[in-house]
Amino acid sequence: MKDKLIIVVKSILFALIFALIYYGLSYLLIPGNNTKKYGIIKTGEFEILQEEENTIDAIFIGDSVVYSAISPMEIWNEFGYTIFDCVGMSQLTPISYEMLYESIESQHPKVAFFEADVLFRDEKNIPIDRYFDQTFKKFFPLSTYHNNWKEKTLKFLNTGDDFTELNVYKGYKYIHKIKGVTEQKELKETKKAMRIPKANLDAFQKMVDLSEEKNVKLVLITNPNYYNFTYERYNAISKLAKKYGLEYIDLNKDNPLKIDWTKETKDRGVHLNYWGAKKVSKFIGEYLKKTGLLEDHRNDEKYQSWNEAYRIYKNNLK
Amino acid sequence: MEKLIEILEELQPEVDYETCEDLVDGRYLDSLTILSLISEIESEFGVQVPTVEIIPANFNSAKKIWELIERLQEDI
Amino acid sequence: MSYLSVEYLLLFLAVVIVYNFTPKKLKPIVLLLASYAFFFYISGKLVFYLLLSSISIYGAGLIMKKIDEKRDKKLEKTSKEERKTVKEKYKRRKKIVLVFTILFNVAFLFFFKYLNFFKKISNKIFNIFNINHRFSILKYAAPIGISFYTLQALSYVIDVYNEKIEADKNIFKVFLYLSFFPTIMEGPITRYGQVSDSIYNGSKVTYHNFCFGFQRILWGFFKKFLIADRLNAVVKVIFKGYMHMSGASVALGAIAYTIMLYMEFSGTMDVVIGSAEVFDIKIPENFRQPFFAKNITDFWSRWHISLGTWLKDYIFYPVSLSKPVKKLTTFLRKHINNRVSSLVMGAIALFAVWSLNGLWHGAGYNFLAFGYYHFVLILLGNIFEPTIVKVCEKLKINRKSTIYKGFQIVKTSLLVFLGEIFFRAINLTTALRMIKRIFLHFDITSIGSEIPNLGLDVKDFIVIVVALIVVLVVSVLKEHNKNIREDVSKKHIVLRWAIYYALIFGILIFGAYGPGYEPVDPIYADF
Repeated sequence: MKDKLIIVVKSILFALIFALIYYGLSYLLIPGNNTKKYGIIKTGEFEILQEEENTIDAIFIGDSVVYSAISPMEIWNEFGYTIFDCVGMSQLTPISYEMLYESIESQHPKVAFFEADVLFRDEKNIPIDRYFDQTFKKFFPLSTYHNNWKEKTLKFLNTGDDFTELNVYKGYKYIHKIKGVTEQKELKETKKAMRIPKANLDAFQKMVDLSEEKNVKLVLITNPNYYNFTYERYNAISKLAKKYGLEYIDLNKDNPLKIDWTKETKDRGVHLNYWGAKKVSKFIGEYLKKTGLLEDHRNDEKYQSWNEAYRIYKNNLK
Repeated sequence: MEKLIEILEELQPEVDYETCEDLVDGRYLDSLTILSLISEIESEFGVQVPTVEIIPANFNSAKKIWELIERLQEDI
Repeated sequence: MSYLSVEYLLLFLAVVIVYNFTPKKLKPIVLLLASYAFFFYISGKLVFYLLLSSISIYGAGLIMKKIDEKRDKKLEKTSKEERKTVKEKYKRRKKIVLVFTILFNVAFLFFFKYLNFFKKISNKIFNIFNINHRFSILKYAAPIGISFYTLQALSYVIDVYNEKIEADKNIFKVFLYLSFFPTIMEGPITRYGQVSDSIYNGSKVTYHNFCFGFQRILWGFFKKFLIADRLNAVVKVIFKGYMHMSGASVALGAIAYTIMLYMEFSGTMDVVIGSAEVFDIKIPENFRQPFFAKNITDFWSRWHISLGTWLKDYIFYPVSLSKPVKKLTTFLRKHINNRVSSLVMGAIALFAVWSLNGLWHGAGYNFLAFGYYHFVLILLGNIFEPTIVKVCEKLKINRKSTIYKGFQIVKTSLLVFLGEIFFRAINLTTALRMIKRIFLHFDITSIGSEIPNLGLDVKDFIVIVVALIVVLVVSVLKEHNKNIREDVSKKHIVLRWAIYYALIFGILIFGAYGPGYEPVDPIYADF
């Protein structure tokens, strides 16, 4: 009996010390100065909270399609706008709402783009391991940020640069792999519209209400996706946009950006690679310029960290 | 027995066969050496060593090998 | 799925919990059900083939046992003179059962792994002789671990045939032996005699076993996440772009691949053995510090040990002591001498062993070349052994000196690195081209400009080197028969826990996972 008690006490102690070290290290490795304000777990989960408050002009909300298509650094370099990708793999619309909420709380962006393809993702079809993955990442932020030890050690080695406070990619995931489309897809034009799950429509309604209340311009977008695009999806989103009086930017029908699907995708047309992302990012920059809502910050004293981030970003490109 | 030790000495001189008790497990005899040993035993003592008998337990010491030979001789 | 994944770890934990709360009698059944669920999870309907194999060996074992029993009864009533004929008679009956079961099991293996290879070869032959027939090459998935469990199945029936073990009446035990989830995907290839006792014991999960098992699992993760997954990038870049690289870089690629393979495979074995340890099941080791080997034979007695001993017991000895080979060697002994005779005998058996070893790793010319490469090295080693001894005596080189041993170890490792090129290259031609580059375009000066393009930065290389030093220190201690784990467990609790935390957080922080890294696929699960 006594032995058993010792084992239990020992196990609990071991777990406690583990948690202590774990979150201590997380605190060290999560970038940004806002961990104190939002807490480690939340800052770990919502990358955008790591940015200095009220510095982001526009956000992109969506899934992997977004983080492989929109590179904020490209837009910064050419237009001087600060964009952030609020993304998650296989994002669900309720999560998109949370992303929007947190972003507005901390940043108050002027424009929010929402990858509308997310609306078709049914909660029921998400594999269990994805759920697990997301929950795991939420409570164990170290697995997401552990590689920052590289930047931290730089600090110790005293190279003068303090990279840790700097999120270089702003949510974008750099991919320079090429795996082109090999089979042409046949598209049938139709008037039919694809069904959007109820839960997603409800969450979307909340997104619309929130942006109206906070005076954020919400824009629906479907980024280039050769694999997913169908007229049924296009029709459904167009209808939705009309219903709420929102703008809808479709980058698939008739391939307006002239994406070369044999070269500018990393996985046969599902996700763009760096070259594809460059095209989309340029287009977005031009679009934002036309709205006249944003300012060029490139020479602004307050935004010099973005120039520094761009320098590193450029360096990291292969 | 002396004849056996003689054969062993010739195949692998670096072992003291009077005392060593882990010829196989201690990796003093590798599989090719065991093969040569078997063919020597077969021609010298006129026995047939079946595959079943080639297990470490039978080859771990000179004494064990000798016991195996005696057993096989009786079997005929 | 890899054993070296969080997914496996969670599944494993779930099994441990269920196992722990099941009464002792049902514990082995929990393991059996978990094993079949695991197999179904990774291979789906192909679980059917595992079932067929299990039934076949279980049945064959019992039939052979019956024959033995009948024989023993008969022998009691037989006079001494007739004993031999009676024995022979029953042996023949048993042999029919044995041969049939072996063919049955090997047929599946052949169908899933080698049919396409042989079809391709036949098509080539048809082409040469202008025969207007082609086999169509169909692609289908093989049951995971078929190469491993088929060898286990064969060892069971052969051992029963030879009366090394007794056929088991307990059908669940035989089924569990073949399907035990930690070993099913990547071995070690166990023997019934080795594991049957502990596998069906239903021992309690003790605190000690739990801690020790997880320690071992952690160690496996350390090797994979810090070293293997990091080197993956380097290996990929070099094996893909070797044409544009110096021979020195290609050599580096071969070394990196060998280290990666070792870390991945031995790391997996750590997880396998550690998992079994939690259930108090003792699985034999599959590695014994292979890179301290003095020669190639020695290397293979330290690397993938269970495959080596399997081939030794069921191919090497049976072939070398088979009747035709014996006839030949007796002839040679009479007409030439003993040494030549046993060399020839060994060569024939080794040829069989290495052909199968090569093919076992995969149906492809490069794998055959991989086998024959080692065959030639081992044979040459044996032929020249006496010469080397003489030369050393003449030159007064002490073969027991540390320097000579060091030289042997380096030489063996270099030969192994070269051999692994066959193993990793996509085909034989590529392998030969790479080796050619190493020897003809070594050009060490360009390596400095090539290393930065291998996909890793300086800090990655530092992690690799530090982690390798840790592994090396552990290996040296083990080579000197130090029981590190027992030693650690006797240390003061503060130090002990510090080691655990260092290991865990070392993996969590310095592990090569997340964006920018691509993990190694389990290499041996494909075999």
